[in-house]
Amino acid sequence: MNSRLNANVLSILSLAILWEVAGRTLDSELIPPLSQISAAWWRLLVSGKLLSNLTMSLATLIAGFFLAVLFGVVIGLLMGRFRAVEHFLDLYVNALMSAPTTAFVPVLILWFGLGVESRIAVVFLFAVFVIIINTMTGVKQVDSVFVEMARSFGAKEKEIFFKIILPAAMPAIMAGVRLGMGRAVKGMVTAEMLLTLTGIGAMIMQYGSAFATDSLFAVILTILIIAMITMKLVQWLDQRLTGWKVEIAIE
Amino acid sequence: MVEIQGVSKSFQKTIKNNSTELKALANVNLSIRENEFVSIIGPSGCGKTTLLKIIDGLIPCDSGGISINGKHVTAPGPDRAVVFQTFALLPWRTVLANVEFSLELRRLPKTDRTDTARDYLKRVGLADFENHYPHELSGGMQQRAGLARALAVNPMILLMDEPFGSVDAQTRQLLQEELLELWQRERKTVIFITHSMDEAVYLSDRVVVMTPRPGKVAEVLDVPLPRPRLAEEVRRDPKFVDLTNYIWDSLKKAMDNPH
Repeated sequence: MNSRLNANVLSILSLAILWEVAGRTLDSELIPPLSQISAAWWRLLVSGKLLSNLTMSLATLIAGFFLAVLFGVVIGLLMGRFRAVEHFLDLYVNALMSAPTTAFVPVLILWFGLGVESRIAVVFLFAVFVIIINTMTGVKQVDSVFVEMARSFGAKEKEIFFKIILPAAMPAIMAGVRLGMGRAVKGMVTAEMLLTLTGIGAMIMQYGSAFATDSLFAVILTILIIAMITMKLVQWLDQRLTGWKVEIAIE
Repeated sequence: MVEIQGVSKSFQKTIKNNSTELKALANVNLSIRENEFVSIIGPSGCGKTTLLKIIDGLIPCDSGGISINGKHVTAPGPDRAVVFQTFALLPWRTVLANVEFSLELRRLPKTDRTDTARDYLKRVGLADFENHYPHELSGGMQQRAGLARALAVNPMILLMDEPFGSVDAQTRQLLQEELLELWQRERKTVIFITHSMDEAVYLSDRVVVMTPRPGKVAEVLDVPLPRPRLAEEVRRDPKFVDLTNYIWDSLKKAMDNPH
């Protein structure tokens, strides 16, 4: 773990130095040196512009992602547990899973308008299908001998579900949630760039078209950091819920 | 006490839209006495496990039936508990929580659950491992936990499905001795599935030899060895050797002309 952290720090430092050197030697508007980007980032931070936009973006992200986890897990559990539900829905889920979600943005505008509802819907659509599919797969892969064991000790359907199916499927569910989080961040930025220019998506479009590359990169770096933090958060949650599984992996 | 009367069971096997009927059991009859240790032995695929599941009430039979003390079996009940070949321990629960699982389903209060589980872990020699997860234990220790889980609900009948089939030979022998000791102390009816002749003779009062699919009873043999049985002495006893040889012949005969 420690050596991994060291490697990460080393990797970031090398990239930062390379970037700075490249930026200074090329002396181009297209690749501003890192110091200039940092200065721009600080400016955006102090002006409050970054934080206010970030808050708006994150609110959309959290709302959309929360709904995606809620729906995704419930639908995935039902599809995994009941063959009829699976056969009824798997066509749509598989189609929507591989379809480019961006294509649905115009439809969402028609349905929900240009407000925050549409942006939440985009985040939701980006994240929900991968959660459904992982949850369903997790449920279907539960070792049938566990169910048999529970039944032989007198478990009712409800107990089989909560004491066997749910905990056994938890690692797969959390894998879906992790993948869904990544997609949700993509959905958030896409929505802000394609729908209404708000949040950090708007900042990207604005600075991009104005050739303000230092501010542009400052915003992009912010998004990367947000993505990394949210991933870590989900990983932490995963550890807490399915620590038993991780231990096996380490062995 | 346990009456198995004319039990037959078929499964539908579907391969590429081609449905064929697979006869697993054909008219199995057997009666087992209270506190008796009975082994059921037979070639793989003879329906031994299916029979055990039917006795437990996990799957229904097509015709015939099981009755325990005169009561017809329709579902799993508190008078029976199963020990599984693959242990079936829940990997997200500690050993203690695994043993508590069977008690949870029987609605025991939390403190009673923990006390009872600890007591049975001690009886199978796992007292020091209650906070370990199953994957941290050897196969033999995992099966001890499986045994503790089954014993903890205090069943009249212990149904054991090749419980020592997936542990090494040395551990297997140790577990056999421990099981006999436990059985002598707790006095339970044991129905024990195995395909080891040696194991069947060493443990049992009677050995039931089954035919290949569709399984039925080929022969029921009494084991006239005195108890308590000491593993080293019993295995040298000429009666033990004769009986295992006889079962071997009986199994071969059943394989050669199954019907």
